[in-house]
Amino acid sequence: MSQLRKSLKANPIIKFLASIKITVVCLILLFILTLWGTIAQVEAGLYEAQQRFFYSWYFLVLGYLPFPGARLVLWVLFINLTANTIKRFVYKMSQIGILIIHFGLMTYFFAAFVTFHEVQESYLMLKENQSSNVSVSYHEWELALWKKTKEDKREVLAFDSNHFKALEMYPFLPFNIDVQVKSYYPNAQAYVNQEGNNEYLNASGIQSLQAIAKDKEPEKNIAGGLFEIFHKGKKLHTIMLYGGEIQGTSFIVERDEYFLMLRRKKYELPFTIHLNKFDMSVHPGTEIPRHFQSFVEVEHQGLKREVLIYMNEPLRYKSFALYQASYSLGQNGDKYSTLAVVKNRGHLLPYISSLITFLGLVIHFMFMAFKRKR
Amino acid sequence: MMMKKLITTILVFILLNISTYCLAQTDAFFNFSQIKPKTVANVDELKAIPILDNGRIKPLETYAKNTLIQFSGRSRFEKKEAINWLSKLIFAPESARYDKVFLINHPGIATSLGILPEKKRRYSFSQLQPKFEKLRELSNAALNIDPKERDIVENEIIRLYQNMESYAHLSICFSFAFPHPDFAITDPHLKEALGFKEKVHQFSFLEVAQKADELQVLSKPLETLPEDQWSETERQTFRVISSLFDWSLLYRDLSFTIIPTYQNDEKWISPWDAIGAAVTREEGRQEYKALRELLINYWNDQQLEFDLNARLFKQSIYERLTLNHPRLANLVELELIYNRIKGFFYAQILYFVVFLLFFIFLIFSKNWLYKILYTLLISGFVLHAVSIVMRIIILQRPPVSNLYETFIFVSFICVLTGLIIERIQKNGLGFIIAAVCGYVFLAIGGKFSAEGDTLQMLVAVLNSNFWLGTHVLSITTGYSGVCVAGIVGHVYLIQCIVKPQDKTLLNSTYKVLIGSLGFGLTMTFLGTNLGGIWADQSWGRFWGWDPKENGALLIILWIAILFHAKIGKIISQVGLAAGSALGLLVVMWAWFGVNLLSVGLHSYGFTSGLATNLSIYAVCQILIVIILTPLANKRLKVKG
Repeated sequence: MSQLRKSLKANPIIKFLASIKITVVCLILLFILTLWGTIAQVEAGLYEAQQRFFYSWYFLVLGYLPFPGARLVLWVLFINLTANTIKRFVYKMSQIGILIIHFGLMTYFFAAFVTFHEVQESYLMLKENQSSNVSVSYHEWELALWKKTKEDKREVLAFDSNHFKALEMYPFLPFNIDVQVKSYYPNAQAYVNQEGNNEYLNASGIQSLQAIAKDKEPEKNIAGGLFEIFHKGKKLHTIMLYGGEIQGTSFIVERDEYFLMLRRKKYELPFTIHLNKFDMSVHPGTEIPRHFQSFVEVEHQGLKREVLIYMNEPLRYKSFALYQASYSLGQNGDKYSTLAVVKNRGHLLPYISSLITFLGLVIHFMFMAFKRKR
Repeated sequence: MMMKKLITTILVFILLNISTYCLAQTDAFFNFSQIKPKTVANVDELKAIPILDNGRIKPLETYAKNTLIQFSGRSRFEKKEAINWLSKLIFAPESARYDKVFLINHPGIATSLGILPEKKRRYSFSQLQPKFEKLRELSNAALNIDPKERDIVENEIIRLYQNMESYAHLSICFSFAFPHPDFAITDPHLKEALGFKEKVHQFSFLEVAQKADELQVLSKPLETLPEDQWSETERQTFRVISSLFDWSLLYRDLSFTIIPTYQNDEKWISPWDAIGAAVTREEGRQEYKALRELLINYWNDQQLEFDLNARLFKQSIYERLTLNHPRLANLVELELIYNRIKGFFYAQILYFVVFLLFFIFLIFSKNWLYKILYTLLISGFVLHAVSIVMRIIILQRPPVSNLYETFIFVSFICVLTGLIIERIQKNGLGFIIAAVCGYVFLAIGGKFSAEGDTLQMLVAVLNSNFWLGTHVLSITTGYSGVCVAGIVGHVYLIQCIVKPQDKTLLNSTYKVLIGSLGFGLTMTFLGTNLGGIWADQSWGRFWGWDPKENGALLIILWIAILFHAKIGKIISQVGLAAGSALGLLVVMWAWFGVNLLSVGLHSYGFTSGLATNLSIYAVCQILIVIILTPLANKRLKVKG
């Protein structure tokens, strides 16, 4: 083992990769990115700043100067740390703190990787006594198509539409219908034609769309687009859709009625949530909310249980967690509770990383204090 | 239409059943509308009357102080305590009209309202009152602007308007007991029917309201009789009843809520609203009577009666609340003590004295001076600690939940750390750490307390003692550690310059530096991760790159950079000390710089002042390090 380590230690590539200069440079870059990314949030908003500074491999400053994004810097740091486990670290009792700290940091990289690629965020808004097993995305959109049926069940087919481009063709195979994107706007305003001579099919009377700049807060963007329906290679309809509509637009293909709708992406949950009751209280004499909570019933394959969800007390179910996010009151006093739905299989990983690294720090600085006294 | 209104009025009265009141009538009470009150000299007995304000039950003294600060930016008026000003405003509003209590920071606002700017920037109600309509228009226009887009003047206008509104509310909260032209009765028949004295022509709402039964009888024929056939008596009867009705609508929901409702529902109401609510309750009538008597005693300078009535009122409220707030009286008393001892203020002064004496100690190095320093520091620390404990008891929650409290707590931990370091090192290093951090942070915190009540209630997401107690305390302890390291960094640089040959001294300081950096890193790391876990518990994400999280990460990264650069021999011990000194900047940024970000340039008063000062400090700090570091290196080379 030690022979292997010796030969690895001598390896010039590992030697280079393990350089502490790389560590320091990466840490400084991360420092700059964090500071810059914070200040940029004032103008660009949290979401855009996250994408540009933290989730990117690199980005361009002033349009031409490339600057590494946090994603790249963290990968380099991870490689640097891995190389150091071979080259630099001294596996001795006195170094145990340092080793634990860096092992803990390794688990952070793993946790970040899993979370970054796994997490799925959506929400569920329920009126009292309403049930649902479908949650809705905050800012992802989809183009959904379904056939009108007499049963209360329906099969919906949908394509993620966030990256739609003009002239792309999407086949809805089971229905033998193809939809071609004529134009697509991530954020748009819709206009109704007053004169009544409608050029496009639309359930709400919308006849023109105007693209507008994306909002700072991505959930405020409302997508819109123009789509053409093809059946057996023949163009049948042109449909204009807008994300702000509450109903799909119907069209006929071979005597069957279908619906096409541009809507926030929906996720099917493996359980059904029924909101029994929603309660809120404010600090007396003020509008400051003190507490709010939802009494829900979770149903999974016929098995029901009651759960109370409130601030800092989410409902956890498999890899899902449901949080009390906000609430609203309807016009006739109906209470709506909004539950944030987060699916994250790696949710416990950062807990473990925190614990390990913190223990390492404590052990290391205790060791140092102890050593000094001796 | 008229008839309908009248019938409604009568219905309201039957509902209120005000005639069941049996308040004593005092002759002196009737005649004071024009005369100047004699006023009692001492209103201290009012201080402990509880009031529900901003979601918290607090003593009237605290309320008076906060209200005065909110209006005038000061906690005292004409060298007297705020409670004196408040009692004047509520008991004798006419005589308070000329008190200059409205602070207008921006002279442009006074000009735009057509008022001559005052040198001291404070204006009286009588000065502003004629411009009230104009101000209301301006304020409504300003309120339509998105809060983030408002500029200094617009915010100031809104603030001024709201202050005037609150002032007006306060000035009428006892108006039910003042005689008023709306209740003028000249008709001798009506006076006789109501049992009023013949010589008096003006009555108060309350007096007339007590005669509701009689008025009801008198108004009976009006329902059938056409209006043009009414006699003078009937006309006046109708006018008085209408006034009663109008007033009872007008004065609803005032914010001076000093009476808990009788339903045990956590709600509090103003004396006005209590007129109706208290009617069926013996204790309600008692409280009511006491309040009215208080007013009379205030006007007639009856000190003993005044104190007794204030006490009677308080006792009754406390007794009614024993079920829900069994220790309320004690907590109110504790808050009064907390207000009185001004622990943070005196601790701040003691720390400053320690700071000054420390330099004398450096020169003379006498043992007795060392003992004095120690004693002073400990005294400041004890005051500091006691005040924090009092806050915990009053608010029933961990001591840190808003920016003000972080200053108090960080300075506390810094002083504690300084004391521990002094106990180990015994060379004065701990004194300078404790004195500088203690004084500076308490001084900044003191500026915050000028913004109003620092004892605030928490929004739902923060309303968790467990997370406040763990995350916030550990992160602020982390800030303290890094601040201590920053001071030690400065000390190390100076020691390198002044005593470069004294290796023992330099080594001992360096060890403290590494220790405090390590402590700061560990606690910040713990706090940041606990924050992540809290965020995961309440929103479902551990990390989201939001400004506050990033701030904490910057501290961790900064210390990590320093340690790794030191191990990689990129920087020397002097470099590490310089880096620690700059670490102060990183902490300031994470701690409150980030809060100023969102505020931007649109804020006014303290926050923008803080932003400017923080920028000036940043420049100075960088300059200090740029000057000291090469000097220290040079001296070390020459002497070492």
